[in-house]
Amino acid sequence: MIDPFNIIITGVGGQGNVLAARMLGNTLTKAGYYVTIGETFGASQRGGSVMSHLRVSKESSWSPQIPKGKAHLIIALEPIESLRVLAAYGNRDVKVVSNTRPIYPVGVICGDLAYPSLPDLNTAVAQLCDDARFINATEEAVALGHPILSNVIMVGAAAGLGLLPIDDESFKSVISENVPESKIDINMKAYRKGKEMAVDPVKF
Amino acid sequence: MLLSKSEGKEFLLMGNQAIARGALEAGVSVAAGYPGTPSSEIIENLAAVAPDADLYVEWSVNEKVSLEVAAAGSFAGLRSLCVMKQNGVNVASDFLLHLVLSGTRGGMVLIPCDDPGAISSVNEGESRYFARLMEIPLLEPGDFQEAKDMTKWAFELSEEISNVVMLRSVTRLSHASGNVKLGELNRAKPSAKFNFSGNLLDAKTGPVITAPVPFRHTQQQAKLKKAIDLFERSPFNRYEGPENPELLIITSSACYLYSREALRVLDAEKRAGILKLGTTWPLPPELLKKHLAAADKILIVEEVLPFLEENIKILAMENIDSIGKIKFFGKNNGTIPSVNEMNPDHVIKAVSSILNIPYTGMPEEYEKSGQILSFTKSPNRELTFCPGCPHRASYWSINRALTLNGKNGFVCGDIGCYTMAILPAGFGTIKTAHSMGSGTGVASGFGKLKSFGLNQPVVSVCGDSTFFHAGMPALVNAVHNGSDMLLVILDNSGTAMTGFQPHPGIPSDAAGNKLPSVDIESVCRSIGAKTFTTDPFNISETEKKVLDIIENETGARVLIMRQGCALSPEKKGKKKYNVSVDSNICKGTDCGCNRLCTRVFRCPGLVWNSSTGKAVIDEIICAGCGVCADICPSGAIKRSEVMS
Amino acid sequence: MQVKGSKEIRAGVLDSGLCTGCGACVSLCPYYATHKGKTVMHFSCTRDEGRCHAHCPRAEVNLDMLSSVIFGEEYSAEPFGSYISIYTARAGDKAGLSSFQTAGTVSALMKFSMEKGYIDSAVLTKNDNGFGVPVIVNDPSGIEKASGSRYSVSPSVKGVNEAINSGRKKIGTVSTPCQTLAIAQMRGNPVKQENFIDPIALSVGLFCTWALRASDFTDLLKSMGDVSTIRKLDIPPPPSSVMEIETGNKSYIIPLEEIRKLVPEACSYCHDMTAEFADISVGVFEGRNKQNIAIIRTERGRKIFDEAVNAGYLIREEISSKDIAPLAAASINKKKKGLAKLADAELVNSEGKDAVIRIKKSTLESIFKGGALCC
Repeated sequence: MIDPFNIIITGVGGQGNVLAARMLGNTLTKAGYYVTIGETFGASQRGGSVMSHLRVSKESSWSPQIPKGKAHLIIALEPIESLRVLAAYGNRDVKVVSNTRPIYPVGVICGDLAYPSLPDLNTAVAQLCDDARFINATEEAVALGHPILSNVIMVGAAAGLGLLPIDDESFKSVISENVPESKIDINMKAYRKGKEMAVDPVKF
Repeated sequence: MLLSKSEGKEFLLMGNQAIARGALEAGVSVAAGYPGTPSSEIIENLAAVAPDADLYVEWSVNEKVSLEVAAAGSFAGLRSLCVMKQNGVNVASDFLLHLVLSGTRGGMVLIPCDDPGAISSVNEGESRYFARLMEIPLLEPGDFQEAKDMTKWAFELSEEISNVVMLRSVTRLSHASGNVKLGELNRAKPSAKFNFSGNLLDAKTGPVITAPVPFRHTQQQAKLKKAIDLFERSPFNRYEGPENPELLIITSSACYLYSREALRVLDAEKRAGILKLGTTWPLPPELLKKHLAAADKILIVEEVLPFLEENIKILAMENIDSIGKIKFFGKNNGTIPSVNEMNPDHVIKAVSSILNIPYTGMPEEYEKSGQILSFTKSPNRELTFCPGCPHRASYWSINRALTLNGKNGFVCGDIGCYTMAILPAGFGTIKTAHSMGSGTGVASGFGKLKSFGLNQPVVSVCGDSTFFHAGMPALVNAVHNGSDMLLVILDNSGTAMTGFQPHPGIPSDAAGNKLPSVDIESVCRSIGAKTFTTDPFNISETEKKVLDIIENETGARVLIMRQGCALSPEKKGKKKYNVSVDSNICKGTDCGCNRLCTRVFRCPGLVWNSSTGKAVIDEIICAGCGVCADICPSGAIKRSEVMS
Repeated sequence: MQVKGSKEIRAGVLDSGLCTGCGACVSLCPYYATHKGKTVMHFSCTRDEGRCHAHCPRAEVNLDMLSSVIFGEEYSAEPFGSYISIYTARAGDKAGLSSFQTAGTVSALMKFSMEKGYIDSAVLTKNDNGFGVPVIVNDPSGIEKASGSRYSVSPSVKGVNEAINSGRKKIGTVSTPCQTLAIAQMRGNPVKQENFIDPIALSVGLFCTWALRASDFTDLLKSMGDVSTIRKLDIPPPPSSVMEIETGNKSYIIPLEEIRKLVPEACSYCHDMTAEFADISVGVFEGRNKQNIAIIRTERGRKIFDEAVNAGYLIREEISSKDIAPLAAASINKKKKGLAKLADAELVNSEGKDAVIRIKKSTLESIFKGGALCC
């Protein structure tokens, strides 16, 4: 693993971005890493973009903000947010794993702005990085029983890229501390599903 | 986690959790504050464990009162904590000025959380200057472990010098998380007693007062000197780097992390050193003298104002003989930006220019195409009121009433979700916006300008929590001085913006226990304002009332628009109406409508379908308030009450 | 006729003191509203083309085009515009009117038209707490209640829009010249309405020299007592130069000088005293307060008027050219003054920007040349 390894989890207020960052962060902490998470969620209740920076290191803790252009992995809970983050923190070698389900900005909802089609977005993202994968996380989460599981699928997908030093057991122990016992299995199922989906993303 | 007994074990903690844990390890008994991002989670976390940890935790009416409440704990011998966001210190400062003179007994810590870059604020205020102004010690944790450890130590320091200690956090510590090794919890429950019968001049046993001022002021300054001695030896001030660095960075708080990162990224750790200060006022002179003498170039990295920079320069000047000539880099010479928050890039840029080390964060070409692509394909997320938010309906009616009146009436606002009425979300209705409750004070002033020809109707808006915080004195002022204005209280039954903390109008406390509530309407009436109420979801009645009050009533009057926040626990996820659009009736962009609902009203639950040219309801997003059915000019939006 | 949108209305009419408050743009859409005689705009509309602009009597009014739609001929430079005949008129016994301030011609005409089915509704103006507001009357007995001079600006065309919205197909209207012009604009500029059928069956215009700013006038009336007790509001013919107000058991006489201060700026641009685009225009016959002057302008106007006379609803008499001379002079005077003021502001036949009035150049010249300014 590159040290420090810089992860950005991006999405929209209300998507559970902070929780997803915490899940991933706790898993990595359990694996013996220093983890720093910087969060921008001031506008979260009002439809704004939300972003968490995760810095992972074996050596020491790093600052809560990733320098410009220095992300290694971008996890986008909402597809267009990947592009916004790439523009600030991207580079050709960054890996992007993105949910396909849009959450429309109010300008789009109101008909003032246009939201790109997924192939269109894929083309744009491909201009900024060599390895971007879109997965139908929300769809799969709904199939598993609840859309909220899409974040676990996304974390699973991030793990599925094989870049992070996390294993199923450490993730399970984090999940066990955070959900009732009856929900552990479904969460682990979602996590494993995400791992599978990362290696079999949407084809364009 | 907060009450975990796993001493020595490492956890991933948010800065605010680390601070709360630190207070618990110090054995805090009383904690009070007023909500404000990024500070709120400290009190929230303590409130959550209050019953188990034998704490008294309070959301006070405003920051000044919270400091007074916390001070009482200290006067009674308990350890007490007071928490607020940066601008709260301004509110609390009058009491603070007197508190620092009388001194404290039980350890007392004041924690302001600053928001450099105004990420969740309408100002970029600095609380550190208050420490100098008030002559009290200032601590700035440099990481998450220190956030916990320094909080704990702050109580001890306070007791050592018998005065309040300020510990300043910032957004990037409070709202960031990192590894924290837990220490031992202090679970003793001390008993409280206020002693006052001792000698008038005995700070421990006499009355707690500021007089005689010269005597107390002398005592206070002696306490500060004592703090300096402790700071000289403090482990929270550390130097990392070569013995005689080409460049010495002096920094504190989250800027320490950025600075360390900058040197690592530039591979400059052998050329430059970092003096990381945890105790930033008063500065430990011996420590600084030693390090200033070892380098010729000094870069000071801090946010927001050049606080360290100024104080270090004074110290350097006073000791120029031993330190010698040095060149300073910082905010004053433009090496570091003088506004907005700091980040690794700013420090990298500064160090790379001083040490002449080339660095490329992002290739120019990549940056350019990234900007174009994100601009064209990543539509902006404009801030707006939530679906079902009563503010949207309230501003709809206020705006329309002022337009109908046709006399250029305007609205003075203050701080809360409802400040967003400066944006299209609230139809640009607010025309002045400043501090808590200030809209009403400003309106009170506008309402007295008739004799100078100001004939515009004057309206102010203020939330329920803000009304108690600072709106009440302004209303008293307006009533007493006969100002011609209307205060609209946007009562959504909670401190919604910061996450539903209770306020005096709510019948419960921070921990959820039942409390008596203070009725806003009765308060306004007893102040002497002619007071009206309305349900903002009834837009035609609300518009009529606003217009009628503006045109037919005089003096200071109040209209309470009462409707709960859509995110409140009572309302969230519960629809009052099923709402739908009859596409046969919807006129779309035709003359006679032109998308009034999606283009102007702009509730996120109303979606413009450009392929059919009709509006539709997004059932998932729609909160079921039903207001849009009343704004549709064609009657195309239908609502039916949800059967419970 | 170039139809534009609300951007032009806001900038060119509402914000430039040209709005007459006629109400033509109100009740067409959610953006325009009227309050106390003033037209305002809520939020903003982004359409490039709207009925607000098409109907406005102060936006791109092409007098020749309107004249050809309504009269089948170019706009005339005559003092009274196009007309067939002029008479004196007053209500006859058959009209069954109980009381009327002047001669009752308008009420008798509307009542007759409705009883005979020429109109299915009448849009009139009633007094609402001192303000003139439109009222749609569907029953002949309701016509008389909404009669009498008001003087203040009222958004009566709003009522016409509302009558159309409620599906009325044969609407009778009583309107001041600016309102009549708006109604003509509506009839002459149907925006995007294929198979447009004129919903106006009878347009009765009222002579007008000026109106008063409604809220200021109401404030003045209120200062005299309860506005609901006002029994009489009248301006006797020259040389009296006063307004007479009777309220409760008191009467007031206010110098016209004072009253004129309440005339909105918009009236100073007015070029039409006799409601030239009506079917029939009716007004006071100065010096004869029990008689009106009626100008019959269209064939359908003539038909209804004649029938009303034959049925005893109206009593008409021939009028001598000497008797109409003062009205003609006042009318031409107003036309000249209004058009001159508009022309000064580059609002007549403007090139490259919005005009208020478009009119054949030669007609304009002959208006400016003709007749002496009198009175």
